[in-house]
Amino acid sequence: MAHLKYESQLREPLVTGNKDYHQVTEDICRPIEAKPTKLWYVGFYIAVALLMFGVYSVYREVTYGIGQWNLNKTIGWGWDITNFVWWVGIGHAGTLISAILLLFRQGWRTGVNRAAEAMTIFAVMCAGQFPIFHMGRVWMAFFVLPYPNTRGPLWVNFNSPLLWDVFAISTYFTVSLLFWYSGLLPDFATVRDRAKTKLRKLLYGVAAFGWTGSTKHWQRHESLSLVLAGLSTPLVLSVHTIVSFDFATSVIPGWHTTIFPPYFVAGAVFSGFAMVQSLMVIVRKVFALEDYITLGHIEAMNKVIVLTGSIVGCAYLTELFMGWYSQNKYEGYTFWYSRANLFSPYGWSYWGMMACNVISPQIFWFRKMRRNLFVTFFMSVLVNIGMWFERFVIIVTSLYRDYLPSSWSVYYSPSTWEIGFYLGTFGLFFTCFFLFAKYFPVVAIAEIKSVLKTTGDTQKDGMDKQEEMQPEEFVHEYAH
Amino acid sequence: MASIREQFEIPGKMKTWALGLIAVGVLAMIIGLVTKGMGDEHEKTVFIGTLMYNSLFFMLICNASMFFICATTLAMGGWQVVFRRIPEAISTLVPIFGGIAWVVLMYIVFIDHNHHIYHWLSEEAKTDHILSGKLGFLNPVFFLIWTTLAIGLWIILGAKMRKLSSEADEAALRGEEPGKSFVWRNTVSASLFIVWFALTVGSTVPWLWMMSIDAHWYSTMYSWYTFASSFVAGMSLIALFVIYLKNKGYLEYTNQEHLHDIGKFMFAFSIFWTYLWFSQYMLIWYANIPEETIYFKTRVQGPYKGLFFLNLIINFVCPILILMKRSAKRNYTLMTFMAVLIIFGHWIDFHQMVMGSLSKEHVTLGWLDFGIAAFFIGMIILFTGRALAKKPLVPKYHPFLKESVIHHT
Amino acid sequence: MAKKKFVVGCFDDEAVLFPAVKKVRTAGYKIHDVYTPFPVHGLDHAMGLRETSLHTAGFIYGITGTTTALSCISWIFTKDWPLNIGGKPHFALPAWIPITFELTVLFAAVGMVLTFCYLCQLAPFVKKHHFHARATDDLFVMVIECTAKTNEADLQGFLNSIGAKEVNVQEAEADWWFGRYDQEQQLIRDTKVEVA
Repeated sequence: MAHLKYESQLREPLVTGNKDYHQVTEDICRPIEAKPTKLWYVGFYIAVALLMFGVYSVYREVTYGIGQWNLNKTIGWGWDITNFVWWVGIGHAGTLISAILLLFRQGWRTGVNRAAEAMTIFAVMCAGQFPIFHMGRVWMAFFVLPYPNTRGPLWVNFNSPLLWDVFAISTYFTVSLLFWYSGLLPDFATVRDRAKTKLRKLLYGVAAFGWTGSTKHWQRHESLSLVLAGLSTPLVLSVHTIVSFDFATSVIPGWHTTIFPPYFVAGAVFSGFAMVQSLMVIVRKVFALEDYITLGHIEAMNKVIVLTGSIVGCAYLTELFMGWYSQNKYEGYTFWYSRANLFSPYGWSYWGMMACNVISPQIFWFRKMRRNLFVTFFMSVLVNIGMWFERFVIIVTSLYRDYLPSSWSVYYSPSTWEIGFYLGTFGLFFTCFFLFAKYFPVVAIAEIKSVLKTTGDTQKDGMDKQEEMQPEEFVHEYAH
Repeated sequence: MASIREQFEIPGKMKTWALGLIAVGVLAMIIGLVTKGMGDEHEKTVFIGTLMYNSLFFMLICNASMFFICATTLAMGGWQVVFRRIPEAISTLVPIFGGIAWVVLMYIVFIDHNHHIYHWLSEEAKTDHILSGKLGFLNPVFFLIWTTLAIGLWIILGAKMRKLSSEADEAALRGEEPGKSFVWRNTVSASLFIVWFALTVGSTVPWLWMMSIDAHWYSTMYSWYTFASSFVAGMSLIALFVIYLKNKGYLEYTNQEHLHDIGKFMFAFSIFWTYLWFSQYMLIWYANIPEETIYFKTRVQGPYKGLFFLNLIINFVCPILILMKRSAKRNYTLMTFMAVLIIFGHWIDFHQMVMGSLSKEHVTLGWLDFGIAAFFIGMIILFTGRALAKKPLVPKYHPFLKESVIHHT
Repeated sequence: MAKKKFVVGCFDDEAVLFPAVKKVRTAGYKIHDVYTPFPVHGLDHAMGLRETSLHTAGFIYGITGTTTALSCISWIFTKDWPLNIGGKPHFALPAWIPITFELTVLFAAVGMVLTFCYLCQLAPFVKKHHFHARATDDLFVMVIECTAKTNEADLQGFLNSIGAKEVNVQEAEADWWFGRYDQEQQLIRDTKVEVA
């Protein structure tokens, strides 16, 4: 039997504007079927221009070598690895929203999961560029793959966290892509069945894999989504955990600390949600999706931001405390001089990180602030700046003063091509995102429809009868 | 019209069992006191250490119930409302076990000055170049203040949450305005509890009480690890009481759907615990710094080897293999078995965390441990039963009750 | 593969659909399928469909991944080319857990998605007959296969009486074929309608 569709009237509706099924289809397909706006073109070309600059910067690096970057013997990891970790971190929110929130049954995920997953995939693509080009001789990149070869066979080092990264990032990319695409199939079918032009019929027909909406297919699809969600939950944890292992397995002060894995994951979710916020605030406005991405959604995401920001804060303080408690003078020096001392050469980055990641998100304890779009947007950008600082702090402040004072260095500032590479990944990210926003259903149509009867505003008004019932009457009528 | 059966009466058998277990526990403690507590320094340390880890473990798993309530309140969860009174009842043990733990800890620090447990209490700590640096944190005065504050605020904030919950028994809560205000006030109290929980269980308290036994050693993960261990055991305890009441014919609106979700928590947090376990162990193993690996020396290569691997089998292998299936999480017998196993597993975990540092030459797990545990289990049964009988079992007018009744996994 | 005859009834509310499915089944008709724009919970049970065992397949794929990773790495590092890395034992199990985990997930996910596509016959350039274009928009399309005994007019009337908004009879290929959605294709197979 169909189950009673009911939720408490105290919860705000997640779909507003008196929608029915057909209107949901209309609203979400409209931007796909309309001609791109001028604004879209402007944004898209800026993104492509950035991408081109990035391609040129990478070309310089590949042709002339890593010397194009300002890394030196002490600071062997700088912007490149900082950017890598930053992008990978951002690439965590999509899977978190789709997978963990699916398991925790947070209804608001339906409004934002599609865009968040797309963002995840693009962010991971950007992240992957950095370690690959950091190799220097990028044409040898296939050396990281374990395959029987004529060099012995000389195998890769399975004990190395850098190799774990190869496996983690590629698995994560593959699984996220499969998860995202399997969710897209029914929505592509919707677009296909509405298509007017031949080209659209062909392309969306190919993309939808011949989806019909058969009940048996839906049953398998549900099972697939649930298992993929179940798999992605530990997977998303494992990816940033393994990234943290790149640092924590070493014996470098400030890197070797056991709390790194969960704290990296919390930080990743934190920055990922911030990026989703930045994009959603714009997307909902540009594509008139305010009825699907409501202030309720924004507020829920801001709650996750303050939660993860505080967890990260708890970890920062734990580390700082242990820097003292361990009474290990190297740890102490790193944490209390190289980082926490504002007047040390890189002290500013530590306090930048603290201000952006721990202190300022506390503003979201206030409901008014959580529901303020301007504050939300501003904060989401600030958080991502803060999270970039975090990775910079971890990498550079631990490296620039190592065990050998003669090689101490503070003279690290990125070269044009280092910056260009970073800007280029922004280009890649936004090029992909603009294409996605134009040609893909940015909100999961089928998923919105499946929660519409529970959480749509008109449909909720129809629940007055159940809301008014005495508890005894209610259980008599509906308890199973 | 069906009325909601909501008044729990303590069955005679429950009382007998509880009192029996308490009697066994008291007897074990008396014998322990005579045979070990009066013995040499080592025996005495074992006796007090056993008392200490038991009181901390059982206090933390009862406090985990309140954490569960507050976390679900903040997440605006609706599904748990039908059985919410059970974690509430379990959390009434926090003042009792908190009191016991406080007495044990204060006895160690102030009366016994047991530097075999807390090395930082000894005279030589003042000259030890590492320990002397830590004395700003590891000193009796701070220990007293922070312990008292931690336990005290858990008690006060927990009581506040339970008091708020009583409002849900009154019809006055019906309607939108009272409902909204109720949810809001719950949110405020729950966030206070969670913040304090993070500042204590999530960070300082496990360092102070347990990690400082190995006074030279440190691990930033330690507190989160302890939290995961106590939380998954706490969820299992809730599951046990839900199943018990269900078998007694109470909680008619709690069904397999709810049990399934509790099972998911047990499953997920077992894996989370393993994740933290692995992260801590692997990083220390990999970096191989002597100051750090010393902690695992007795545990992995010494006499605790057996317990160490048993810990992993019970707390990781069993839950992941058995609880993975949907049907297992909906099966009352299997869930009872798993809940008991998980609580036992994490009790073993606490045992090796504390005793692994106190009795390095041989494992002391024996009649005394089980006897003292029996005392705490008896107390849990007795006082949870009492608390359950005091309030209606179902918060009838809770704004999310109806959602919880029709909850569907 | 052959053409068959179907009676199609379209519903616009799942609350009407559920009793309708029940009535159609009690009346003894064989529901070919119900096409819905989103997963309707409990509809598979109402139609009497078997539970899917896709997740069991996923479990088996996962275990395969675990075994592959562990056996390959241990063979490579203990037999094929043992290396001393940081003084660790050759059989350095803790260091292999991350890759083992990743391969478990990778095998399970890829295997399941491929199995899903195979079972549902989903692939690029696969084309199927769609009984109603709005089945992916806002209609719940119930399709009943005609047998020799079926009286189409009666069945249509019956569907109307239980709440169908739109009823028709279609002769269609029930299976899939390779094709493009921008072209109407004449299937090469015989056009005779097959009646069970």
